Amino acid sequence: MTILENEPRPITILIGALGGEGGGLLTNWLVAAAAAADLPVQSTSIPGVAQRTGATTYYLEVFPTETAELNGKMPVMSLYPGPGNMDVVVASELLEAGRAIENGFVSPDRTTLIASTHRIYAIAEKSAMGDGVHDSDRVLAAAREMADSAMLHDLAKTAEANGTALNAVLLGMIAGSGKLPLPDSAYEDAIRAQGVAVDANLRGFAAGLSLARDTEEPKAEAVETAPPEQRIELDFPAPVAEFAAHGVSKLADYQDMRYARLYLDRLQTVLAVDSQQKSWKLTREVARYLALWMSYEDVIRVADLKTRADRYNRVRAEVGAKADEPVRVTEFLKPGVEEVASLLPPGLGAALSGWAARRGLTARLHVARRVRTDTIFGFLQLWLLAKLRFWRRRTYRFSQEQALMEKWLAALVALAPRDYAFAVELAECANLLKGYGETQARGHGNFEQVFDTIVAPALGGAATDAARLRSAREAALADPEGQALGQALAV
Amino acid sequence: MERSFEKEVRSLRLGAGDTFHGEGILAITKALLQSGVSYVGGYQGAPVSHVMDVLTDAQDLLDDMGIHFEACSNEAAAAAMCAASINYPMRGAVCWKSVVGTNVASDALSNLASAGVMGGTLLLVGEDYGEGASVIQERSHAFAMKSSIVLLDPRPHLPLVVDMVEKAFELSEASNTPVMMEFRIRACHVHGRFECKDNVPAKVSRNAVLTDPSFDYSRICLPPATYAQEKHKIDYRLPAAVDFIRENKLNEVFSGECEDVGIIVQGGLYNSVIRGLQQLGLADSFGESRLPIMALNVTYPLVPDEITSFCAGKRAVLMVEEGNPDYLEQAVNVILRKADLNTRVVGKDVLPMAGEYTLAVVIDGLKKFVEGSLPQGLDHTDVARRGDAVAANRTHAIELLGAPTPVRPPGFCTGCPERPVFTAIKLVEKEVGNIHVSADIGCHTFSTLPPFNIGNSVLGYGLGLASAAGVAPAFGDKRVVSIMGDGGLWHNGLTSGVAGAVFNQSDSVLVIMNNGYSSATGQQHIPSTGTNFRSEPTGQNIRDALKGLGVKWQRTVTTYEVGNMMKTLREALSTKTKGLKVIIAESECQLAKQRRIRPLLRKQLERGERLIRTRFGVDDDVCTGDHSCIRLSGCPSLTIKPNPDPLRKDPVAHVNNGCVGCGLCGETADAATLCPSFYRADIVQNPSAFDRLLNRFRRAVIGFLQGRPAAVA
Repeated sequence: MTILENEPRPITILIGALGGEGGGLLTNWLVAAAAAADLPVQSTSIPGVAQRTGATTYYLEVFPTETAELNGKMPVMSLYPGPGNMDVVVASELLEAGRAIENGFVSPDRTTLIASTHRIYAIAEKSAMGDGVHDSDRVLAAAREMADSAMLHDLAKTAEANGTALNAVLLGMIAGSGKLPLPDSAYEDAIRAQGVAVDANLRGFAAGLSLARDTEEPKAEAVETAPPEQRIELDFPAPVAEFAAHGVSKLADYQDMRYARLYLDRLQTVLAVDSQQKSWKLTREVARYLALWMSYEDVIRVADLKTRADRYNRVRAEVGAKADEPVRVTEFLKPGVEEVASLLPPGLGAALSGWAARRGLTARLHVARRVRTDTIFGFLQLWLLAKLRFWRRRTYRFSQEQALMEKWLAALVALAPRDYAFAVELAECANLLKGYGETQARGHGNFEQVFDTIVAPALGGAATDAARLRSAREAALADPEGQALGQALAV
Repeated sequence: MERSFEKEVRSLRLGAGDTFHGEGILAITKALLQSGVSYVGGYQGAPVSHVMDVLTDAQDLLDDMGIHFEACSNEAAAAAMCAASINYPMRGAVCWKSVVGTNVASDALSNLASAGVMGGTLLLVGEDYGEGASVIQERSHAFAMKSSIVLLDPRPHLPLVVDMVEKAFELSEASNTPVMMEFRIRACHVHGRFECKDNVPAKVSRNAVLTDPSFDYSRICLPPATYAQEKHKIDYRLPAAVDFIRENKLNEVFSGECEDVGIIVQGGLYNSVIRGLQQLGLADSFGESRLPIMALNVTYPLVPDEITSFCAGKRAVLMVEEGNPDYLEQAVNVILRKADLNTRVVGKDVLPMAGEYTLAVVIDGLKKFVEGSLPQGLDHTDVARRGDAVAANRTHAIELLGAPTPVRPPGFCTGCPERPVFTAIKLVEKEVGNIHVSADIGCHTFSTLPPFNIGNSVLGYGLGLASAAGVAPAFGDKRVVSIMGDGGLWHNGLTSGVAGAVFNQSDSVLVIMNNGYSSATGQQHIPSTGTNFRSEPTGQNIRDALKGLGVKWQRTVTTYEVGNMMKTLREALSTKTKGLKVIIAESECQLAKQRRIRPLLRKQLERGERLIRTRFGVDDDVCTGDHSCIRLSGCPSLTIKPNPDPLRKDPVAHVNNGCVGCGLCGETADAATLCPSFYRADIVQNPSAFDRLLNRFRRAVIGFLQGRPAAVA
């Protein structure tokens, strides 16, 4: 017996998708197209519990010789994809392409990789307390290196632009890859035979086909650089100026120009201890976080954002309302003692806040309010609240935030000459301060804990340890219960 | 049901001369009809749920043929159904998910196997092992051995599978032994074709009824008959089975030129071995292999002389056997030893003891076998080179990627009614500290995964409450919470859990997820659906069942009301009332609901009826990117997107178009005091003239306040 290297072998196709993306239908189209051409074909899948949002795979083999010509012999087809043995790997999303590459299914000698570059985030990426998103660039680079040919496009966008589903576009890409010995009409007939949303799917197929056959590199998308609304002469080096400009427009929008100037003055004090050799890294980060901190989220800000002129239309677009369809918008607000105290003058606010804390009422005294901002009365409530902006400088919350901010800035300025890296880490600690209600309280608590345990001793003359500060900051973002932070600070 | 098989059911009527195209599980169903079955039953569960679904949709055909189909309450009931074949020449088949279903069925199975069968009896088990499996990883093989049941594991080639089903009934009748046939996940979902035969009417059926009951004491499982039955198994039934297997050549031998070695493989893994050999340059596309192969389509009992004649003259054989323990490898070793053959049996030393035999695993094992046994006339360096290249490709890929790809564990569907219950538990835990939760099997088991991580133990389907019996008292006054789905409740939880807890005066809390279906397996109807699989009303409900068992403290809460659920949980955890406290968390499975209402809504819209569509959204300028909302929900449609604020690094929360407007986001924002970024949008579709007028007026006034010209929208 001789086993020939060049004998026909099954064309292998692995499809990685997420539950509910129509991977099953895509497989059925391919099976139908091959079966109609009398090519031996086999498909299988791993749905299992993966049908509920998990990753799922479909696997097909198509033998390139018609059954009639095989004289009764049938190829033995595998139920499993073989690493190093895939002709076509299809991924409906970038991470699934990464998974196929990771499992060795993409190899430079034979694999055509067809993948959509859009992202659907995994739960670990979504639930991180900061930015937990997987590095897409690394996956793209691996895809280009590992595949014989890589067809990478944002197919979700293509599907949306053509009013069709992603799986139909993928079918077009598979056809366009020319890996299967089938004419375009075979796929189109399969779409018609399956009878599911035929017109839309034929449109998607055509879009995928032309995308696959279009050899031009997709043009890089132009990056929008909106000039800041307020033109100020900025005495900042280029790396800082960009953020400073954003900061100025943000704060002018948040409060007024006077407040924006205060921001620039504060930034100047940091710039004074920074230098070109360090590429102004400290000032750049402070420009970012100081602007965010100074525009801290309070009820006035929320009311302001929710009553902006462009907001209603943004909501309409987001929920896909048609031109003649009125949209009722309900806001979920839950003002409590802290929110009331934050609006009072410092003395009164502190008294109320302290009283509630002593009685253990801070977390309990809340009124769940649902406000309809599409109605006149509901809108008026938030609109009037937003008008309290003039009062903001006199509030308890304002005085508290400014005090903490000054403490942070003073520490930065004092420590930067001694340990620049430590100061940069301290600047980043401001990212712990965000959110509302419980999240905000937790963030403040974490910030103060880190400050008191690591920064205050340094100010008192103790040695600085940038690595420890970094790990404490990362620990504070590791879990909402503060377990990791507790451990990090105990070290 | 999740999937309708109406179209596929037509292929069940095909006859001689027709070619069947379709899924493996449907082919098996067709084979049952070609075998003249009198009855079919089972309990749903991947990967054999579709057998039940197909039969449900095939009622007309079954009625025509007089075949009885039963949607059994659990696997024990399904196995017990086979009692029909003990006394009468009735062929029948039952199916379930294994190994768990076989565990539940095993009491009835032992008795069935002991009594022996007159009519052919086929147990179809979906071997839920490896990637995509949802249960504990064990083999069904042990059950076949301990009860002397014949176990088939056919090569995944549809014509052979269909033939094996037909042969299984003959084998069962020839040996008076029930036959179990296992199908792995991928084989159940394989799409292929075979040449049909005509369907065969059953000897006994609704169209040909029995008249006289048969009484035969030797068929009763009670001493002294049981002793005789055991002896009958050994003296008659197993030898008869072995003879049948040998005479009908159920196991297959494929010759190869390297006769000094060979491969013995479970039939179900044959295709993987061929492909592995092909990748190593040792086989072609049609299964011609350089190494001889014996495919065991019957894995229990083995036919000793088949094994010895295959191994005679070979220095080494590779036993390819998935899972542990290595029953086959041990059995082959014993057979060879007794025959005084010196063939070395290689198996779990080059292949892993545990885990699925994917192609990567098989290729590696084959390579090691070749390197270790050096078959005559083979260029083993070429084999090693090819094997190493496969491994090197993967290593390189992992290096390039740098970090492991984040996993995508299964989770609750968009709008799932069970999610809010765990949001409520998580929020109550913030007040009272962590609670011991006895979880159960069902969609709700996903609570044990991120982002909830709720559930301290899972002991089996319907056993959530029973598994709290030992631990609950150990927590003293701090009550434990058990979870049970309505599927698990009717499967056995009503007796093993509720009746037992009331009887033992257990002071604990049970949350029953009543979503109206056996959801995880494909939304089959169960007693709490209110209708059976034929959509006939059944008049059963959970409240009355619990009342009948003496449960006094019962509360029913709509799952989406997080605040109300928290209040009820607090009360159940703290009330002075002793005894079992049951919270029925009620809301229809969202998948089933969407499938039910979507076509209706579409029609209403087309007719121009005024309809409100609800969905949620996030104001991306209000969101600060902390993702607390996601940690309390995990809804697939609640995701993230890049932050539009150039100063912020962290991505913001985002509700995508998959949102079905279940309301959890709003409830959570309220209950957890989270964040004001969420809004609910009610879109008035086909608005009335009044709607439009009112909206225009509101927009005009609001536009005036915003200091812009009145917009029309």
